[in-house]
Amino acid sequence: MTPDDDRRPRADEHRHADPALREDASGRPPQPVTVVVADDHPMWRDAVARDLTDAGFEVVATAEDGRSAVARTRATRPDVLVLDLELPGLRGPEVCAALTAAEVPTRVLILSASGEHADVLEAVKAGALGYLVKSARREEFLDAVRATSAGEPVFTPGLAGLVLGEFRRVKATSQQEATERPIPELTDRETEILTYVATGMGYKEIAAALFLSHRTVQNHVQNILGKLQMHNRVELVRFALERGIDPATHEPRGAAEPR
Amino acid sequence: MDASPQLAVTLDEHALVRGLWRGIDVFRCLALVYAAWSVWHRHDEVAQLTGAIVILAVLAAWTVVQTVRPARTIPMYAAELAIGCAAILATRLVDHEWVITGGAKTVPSIWPSAAVVGFAVLLGWRGGLVAASLVGLCSFIEVQEPTGNTVTNSILVFLVGGCIGYCVDLARASHAALARSMRLDAARAERDRLARTVHDGVLQTLAFIHRRASELGGEATRLGVMAAEQERILRALVSATDLAAVDRPADDGPTDLRSLLGHVEDARVQVVAPGQPVLVERSAAVELVAAIEAALDNVRRHAGPDARAWVLLDDDGSNVNVTIRDSGHGLPAGRLERAAAEGRLGVSTSIVGRLADLGGAASVQSGPSGGTTVRLTLPRHAKEHR
Repeated sequence: MTPDDDRRPRADEHRHADPALREDASGRPPQPVTVVVADDHPMWRDAVARDLTDAGFEVVATAEDGRSAVARTRATRPDVLVLDLELPGLRGPEVCAALTAAEVPTRVLILSASGEHADVLEAVKAGALGYLVKSARREEFLDAVRATSAGEPVFTPGLAGLVLGEFRRVKATSQQEATERPIPELTDRETEILTYVATGMGYKEIAAALFLSHRTVQNHVQNILGKLQMHNRVELVRFALERGIDPATHEPRGAAEPR
Repeated sequence: MDASPQLAVTLDEHALVRGLWRGIDVFRCLALVYAAWSVWHRHDEVAQLTGAIVILAVLAAWTVVQTVRPARTIPMYAAELAIGCAAILATRLVDHEWVITGGAKTVPSIWPSAAVVGFAVLLGWRGGLVAASLVGLCSFIEVQEPTGNTVTNSILVFLVGGCIGYCVDLARASHAALARSMRLDAARAERDRLARTVHDGVLQTLAFIHRRASELGGEATRLGVMAAEQERILRALVSATDLAAVDRPADDGPTDLRSLLGHVEDARVQVVAPGQPVLVERSAAVELVAAIEAALDNVRRHAGPDARAWVLLDDDGSNVNVTIRDSGHGLPAGRLERAAAEGRLGVSTSIVGRLADLGGAASVQSGPSGGTTVRLTLPRHAKEHR
């Protein structure tokens, strides 16, 4: 794989008027987007945190291993967790699973040094919203954090291929053994969009090709992720219980709204 | 027992097996000492002491032969088994009736077990059980009225023959698996080395010939097409990273399509695949890869220097779909037809023709956002699907 090829989202696709500021419908002054950075490499962690701070984000905590990533994210409830895939203690997918099981509303952006592999898919199934390679340029990274904070999935073609394959696999196994759980299936439109993402098209290009709005394409991608993650929720809760992570912290999601 | 000579040749292949053979050699000596001691211990009960000594002498002679120059062959162990059984039966000649029915040991005592274990090592659990049943049968014939000892001893001999034979079978199987995986590793390393050399030299040269020839036109065009075809074949050959391919004929069995596409990736081409294998019959996979390579060659030649390409593998259960999209100039209308008319057969034979031969379909269209999209569809037949 060639990680450098996976530069997504494109710089022009996630431009907002004031990128690091969260829009607030209630008329209060806008709040900066809060971020937690989890990476076991101190220099990388500091560089990411500095880039984010310079761009107007508020880095509320950093973490150097999986367990503290979970603990600090649960404590600070940031808008975005920037998560390295290979962390000591709990691995990236396990951190995602723990956060999803604990119903932390933070959105997770995976940063990975290598190209696509099974771990990325695991992390996305466990609730991560986006994925970016570490070799991405600074602007691409900041755009990806912005997109993630706005709830927009950040997909590379490689990840789209893995997700498409996962839907195919789930369908094939469900045909072999009759399971009682409902099987998530993609609509034709969703398959089409996923295929476009997997062959390197940006949301904007897809929207133009299908005569849809940019927002609609994003919604489709979001739905695709949602189906994938919903299918895994039961396993996530079981996983969290096995690892001694208490999933029963039922705070209302509003608790993470601006303080 | 069928004594196939080939079996004896393939014996000493495993450390465990070699250890067992040494163990049998030691055991045979100890068993001889034990048998001699048993006879000496009850020498006043023995009717024909001379006869018993003769039996022991035969056993001793065989033990010396097998210790000095051990031969782990089926004939030798058949001979040893025969001597052991004869010694058991001969006990009848040298002992009083009342001693035998009283449950005394046979003259060879545990010595025949060495032959049982030997057969277990030679022929696995079946050999062990057959040899054990022969020994058991002889001891039953010898006592005529079975005592408790006879039954217990026969069961023990059965257990020894069966269990050791089973262990040896397992050891052989695991050794074979290990040897196979080492062979595959070596083959892969060698192929990687070859692939690098070939890729850097021969393939690039062929590609260059192809390129120059199509620029020159005329007679050279044919040469170029031939070079391109050879390049593709050679590339498919050196890039077959499917490990199991080493051990089976080249046109056999399902192959993971992903493992055949590693070489097409570079700074401008990305292969996008699912996390699980995309299995296709090997012959079809090679053709499909050749079609993908042809499509990517077109991208390189026509899509412009900055164009990038993505190859998506998607196995939806009934079809294997391959989408090759590039971000280049796209196709002017009618270019494909003109190309075919001018005798430039790249797209029509390399892509459409190949897929038609496989029972699939191929389409080449302008992409949804500029560029070109090639779609290859390979239906899964019942025999491929399993």
